[in-house]
Amino acid sequence: MASETMVMPYYKVNVLTGSKAAKVIDVPADGVAIINKAKNPLYVFGEEVIATPVGDRLLIDFALEIAKSRDIAICATAHVKKKMLELGVKPDSVYDIIEIVHFLKMKEWSGVRGKGFHDLVLFTGVRCDLAERGLATLKHFAPHLKTFAICRRSHPNADFAVPVLVKVDKWREYLEDMIRTLGATKPA
Amino acid sequence: MYAVDVGPQYEGERIRKTEFQVEFGGPEVSHKGELVTVKGHDEVEHDKITVTGPDIKDFAEGVSSALFIKVEVAGEVLEKDLEAVLERRIHQYINYIEGVFHMAQRYDIWIRIHKNAFKKGLNSFEQVGRILIDLFTAELPVIEKMSIEFVTDPAKVQELLAEAMKVYKERDDKLKGLKDEDVDEFYACVLCQSFAPTHVCVVTPERISLCGAINWFDGRAAVKVDPEGAQFAVPKGNLIDPENISYDTINQVVTERSLGETTHVSLHSALTNPHTSCGCFEAIVFYIPEVDGFGVVSRDFVGVTVTGEPFSTLAGHASGGKQNEGYVGIGVQYLKSPKFLIGDGGYNRVAWMPTSLKESAAENIPQELMDKIATEKDVSNVDELTEFMQKAGRL
Amino acid sequence: MHSKIRDAEIRALIRADDPWEPVGPTPMPTLMDLRNWDLRLLSTYEPFYAPFCDLCCLCTYGKCDLTEDRKGACGIDMASQQARWILICCLMGTAAHGAHGRHMIDYLIEKYGEDFPINLGTQVNVEAPIIRTVLGVKVETLRDLRTAIEYVEREFIHLVSATHTGQEGNYLDFESKAFHAGMLDHVALEAADIAQIAGFGYPTSVADTPLVDLGWGIMDSTKPTIVVVGHNAVTANAIIDYLREHDLYGKVEVGGICCTSHDVTRYASGAKVIGPLSQQRFFLKTGLADVVVTDEQCVLLDIPQMAKETGAAMIACSDKISYGLENASERPADEIVREVLEEQKQFLILDPQKAAEVVVRAALELAPKRSAQKQLLTEAEAAALAAKCRGTCELCNRTCNSLLPVAAAVHQAGQGNFTKLGEVFRRCHGCGRCEQECINQIPILRLMQAAAARDTFKMRSGRGPIHDVEIRKVGSPIVLGTIPGVVLFAGCSNFPQDIDDVAWLAEELARRKYIVNLSGCAAMAAAMKKDDEGRTIYEKYIPEFDAGCIVNVGSCVANCHVVGAAIKIANIFATLPNRANYELISDYILNRVGACGVVWGPYSQKALCIGTGAVRWGIPIVLGPHGSKYRRLYMSKKEMGDWTVMDGRTKQLVDTGEPTPEHMMVVTESKERALVTIIKQCFRRNDTPPGRAIKLNSYISAYKQVMGTLPDDLQNFVRTDKDIPIVYKREVVAYLKEVGWQPKPVLSLPTIIGTYETKVPIEATIK
Repeated sequence: MASETMVMPYYKVNVLTGSKAAKVIDVPADGVAIINKAKNPLYVFGEEVIATPVGDRLLIDFALEIAKSRDIAICATAHVKKKMLELGVKPDSVYDIIEIVHFLKMKEWSGVRGKGFHDLVLFTGVRCDLAERGLATLKHFAPHLKTFAICRRSHPNADFAVPVLVKVDKWREYLEDMIRTLGATKPA
Repeated sequence: MYAVDVGPQYEGERIRKTEFQVEFGGPEVSHKGELVTVKGHDEVEHDKITVTGPDIKDFAEGVSSALFIKVEVAGEVLEKDLEAVLERRIHQYINYIEGVFHMAQRYDIWIRIHKNAFKKGLNSFEQVGRILIDLFTAELPVIEKMSIEFVTDPAKVQELLAEAMKVYKERDDKLKGLKDEDVDEFYACVLCQSFAPTHVCVVTPERISLCGAINWFDGRAAVKVDPEGAQFAVPKGNLIDPENISYDTINQVVTERSLGETTHVSLHSALTNPHTSCGCFEAIVFYIPEVDGFGVVSRDFVGVTVTGEPFSTLAGHASGGKQNEGYVGIGVQYLKSPKFLIGDGGYNRVAWMPTSLKESAAENIPQELMDKIATEKDVSNVDELTEFMQKAGRL
Repeated sequence: MHSKIRDAEIRALIRADDPWEPVGPTPMPTLMDLRNWDLRLLSTYEPFYAPFCDLCCLCTYGKCDLTEDRKGACGIDMASQQARWILICCLMGTAAHGAHGRHMIDYLIEKYGEDFPINLGTQVNVEAPIIRTVLGVKVETLRDLRTAIEYVEREFIHLVSATHTGQEGNYLDFESKAFHAGMLDHVALEAADIAQIAGFGYPTSVADTPLVDLGWGIMDSTKPTIVVVGHNAVTANAIIDYLREHDLYGKVEVGGICCTSHDVTRYASGAKVIGPLSQQRFFLKTGLADVVVTDEQCVLLDIPQMAKETGAAMIACSDKISYGLENASERPADEIVREVLEEQKQFLILDPQKAAEVVVRAALELAPKRSAQKQLLTEAEAAALAAKCRGTCELCNRTCNSLLPVAAAVHQAGQGNFTKLGEVFRRCHGCGRCEQECINQIPILRLMQAAAARDTFKMRSGRGPIHDVEIRKVGSPIVLGTIPGVVLFAGCSNFPQDIDDVAWLAEELARRKYIVNLSGCAAMAAAMKKDDEGRTIYEKYIPEFDAGCIVNVGSCVANCHVVGAAIKIANIFATLPNRANYELISDYILNRVGACGVVWGPYSQKALCIGTGAVRWGIPIVLGPHGSKYRRLYMSKKEMGDWTVMDGRTKQLVDTGEPTPEHMMVVTESKERALVTIIKQCFRRNDTPPGRAIKLNSYISAYKQVMGTLPDDLQNFVRTDKDIPIVYKREVVAYLKEVGWQPKPVLSLPTIIGTYETKVPIEATIK
């Protein structure tokens, strides 16, 4: 079940001073339902995807599985592209995080695959303080899209956020559950 | 792409004695050289790279070896006159290679290969040759074929050098004698219009560009290899002012390219319709009314000139692409030109120069004037200069 | 507003009849004079807002929720509220530098009189390029510098007024006013630094300034030790004078933290630089200082408490930071010293000479008694203090705004392993919030004494203005583009990761032949990395303003010299008149001078203000990740934007189709991304094909290094095939073909003058 409002993210720097907070997606299947509903989603990979282990795998391995499951376009920020190419995946676009947020603000933008604006944007691995600022921009200035922060530190300025998952095992379970459910369901 | 990185950012790299894996040429080695020869289309085997004698990897660490770099090129528009210009590119491109430095030219080359570059895998001239051919043909599409041979066998180097010395001499003789009157075309450069919009530089056999970077042969080569570049040929037309040396077609082109700002330009005068200056000049000639003569100062002179103004202030008067009578920016080489400010009297009109500049121009200063041109050691202001000139019998 | 009386007043203040240059269209510009320029810039580089707070809490109508398209009670919307906040922050920055300048100039006028001449040596003729361009006055004496500060003060009141509820209501106008504040800030910077160079005899007209010692480990605390903290070195310099006069120089250790240390080492190279702002609290907690002296700006507010805890004496010297202390400026020094020593009293002393005497005498007396308090924590002691940490509550992590793994590091330290804590130290900015949260009250910052490497480094002391002759030498290659760019690393030490990342960035650029300049805390951080031979970048690179060289200009106020260098390129080199000619000069810089400012560790309002001021001059800014919390950037739509400019040669509008400079203020996520972004921000429309080829060579080589491929936006910046760097020609040609690249025009006189309403005629751009 999704919680109505977020209480406290992991990092205090990201505490919300405002009235509209993310819905916390406690159950991965609910997150999958959100992805399934999207017509033109985009997945933004931040620099931490290539540097953060989740158990014996890297965060990027999970993010790539999520992206592949629905053929979600990928935007590689920071210097993520190099590692992605080493893994044999070519990102659909390469912008830094603030640049992609800037483009996402514009409804008239053609999107990374030229199919028009993205109605859902997933974020993983972006430095938490920076991600929160970008999500704030989109919350206020991009009414045409929804954001889903797939980050265990949680993000109040997103439309949808993962709850704070302090333990890595729980985080891994969340990701694996999400990937499994994506495999077992179909997009709307 | 290559074992080491390549790019203009590595130009100017210095490799110290303790850092090199192996060096070629330089003061420890008596025989070394490099030569570019333009050949017929069928005489050059494209992409052929040969190493004659031991290769980089065959030398012990810290060794100094003989080296001759023999480049042969062919292409429809290539001609003998371009050889020297192409040869300078060897210097430029070798310096593009990370961990390799190249100094000097012709029979005097000095190349060092850094230990780190060697460790990264730069261990054969095959690779240096590959880079050189790639860069030459990428930048100069007029080179249709190119082969290169690196010779380290001392006896063979000596032999090649002896042949090359003859070529170098032929080239020098040709350049030395060349006068403005001997050619029909001068070259103009408008590269600096991006910051001095009305400046047009005219390059003649006896007037190097004021930045010192382009002589007449360079201009000619540039026009050949890049017809749409910032340098272009100008037929000189008729000599309309033999005293200050001014040509009608040159005036016409300058008028057009300076957006009408400059309509008449004297190629060898600082006082009558002087050549404009962009800001890149190596030296400035400035008129000193008290002695009715010129001072000449170069950029590297620290302190104030005899008029009390430093280079920077004088440069302010001279630059900006506008004619300013009494000021003209020049390349240092112009001090060696037989036409050096001939319209104003040449060295007979020079009153003051810094010591270093005077020394470098010594050969061209008439013997009788040598002691009659003051330096910063002789005088420190215009009053003292006036006295100096009076004593020298020049006032 | 202009009036005949005010115009006459301005003409008198700037001595308009002095013939050095004709007075341009905007002497001492008011809020409105450069508004059209601002709006033109903002039409290409739109403000990007990332709200830090969704509410407005400024007046008692509120709190007002501005979420999404809601408006506050006064009618303000989210974008305007962000822009207002930016203006307020910029005003804080301008005020800090302006008041600093005012204090410095008043002090020197008191000492030497208002006719004291400003002489910056034989190599600097254009003494104050910013003041000349903005005000139109040629600075000859301290009086002229005071005129500059008075102009800042006059404009300031209007700007502050605009922030009141029910005043300015449009985000673009707030941004224009923030630009105005930024420009005023640069005037203040220049006035302050020139005043101190002239008044204290700091280096000028010399490139090869001394190498000074840097690092917290450099302090020889066996001597009486004085630590000066802040940005205004008046008292620190008086301490040096006192030591010299009493034959104590060298016998008493003087070290500085933050910019005061820059300026005191410009005054006396025997003084030492302890480190940047980020190490302030760490160092003060070591107890190595016998006396702590605070002046102004970026000074921690709990210094009196920290000094008490370590038994150090503490003297505050600025009316901006009085700490509730007794003002003892009028009391006899003997009495103050006695109370400092016997009663451990802390004082505010505004008389620099008196403060210096008290500080030195207290240090001499205290040092022999404090040897026990000057002992650093041993590993065993630190491990014992950390033993209670189980590394699981993570309260320290959650409060860490540097997002550091503090818990794991402290837990390991408790087990005697200090590796991780050493790494945390290098990334820590010393806020101490982790200690506050710790349920076991572990003194985490003190633990770092056992973990922090005591490396010492060499930094070149600040050299002040760039020389006119240097400008003449590099002017041409910069404008042609063959020197690929001028980069300034400025600002604070709120770094996203390791403190030595600044050194990495600086060196990556210097080795690619950029002219690299540093200032403030960034200049210190850049000294904190050594190569295999133990050399810092200051020992390795030549300190000239030339390709492939590395220059430390000095403290925060010395930032003005790099902006000044950009102006001088237009003025000295291209002989464009700069007197009261703000738009003309800024247009030149925007289109032709490949300069870029970098604030990799932004924290202060001053840094925001300096950056905002730079943008108005046409200099793009790249920020580290913490810069996103400034909440405003300036970004173009890249290839989707309108890049039409005027061709000054033909006076025709030309769609250049190339987004250069691409953004005017942008945050980057990692140092790798910063490197390629900085390189790109140095592209200019005016680049000649050979120049652009060199710039693209750097861009491609750096991009390949960090991303592994050709740049994904390469097609935006290749105008003709002559722009293609020869080293990469074959693959670039193939790539361009693949993406359907089309050639774009190359202009030799690009300008945006003529594309908006301005008093500057287009002919003025052709000089």
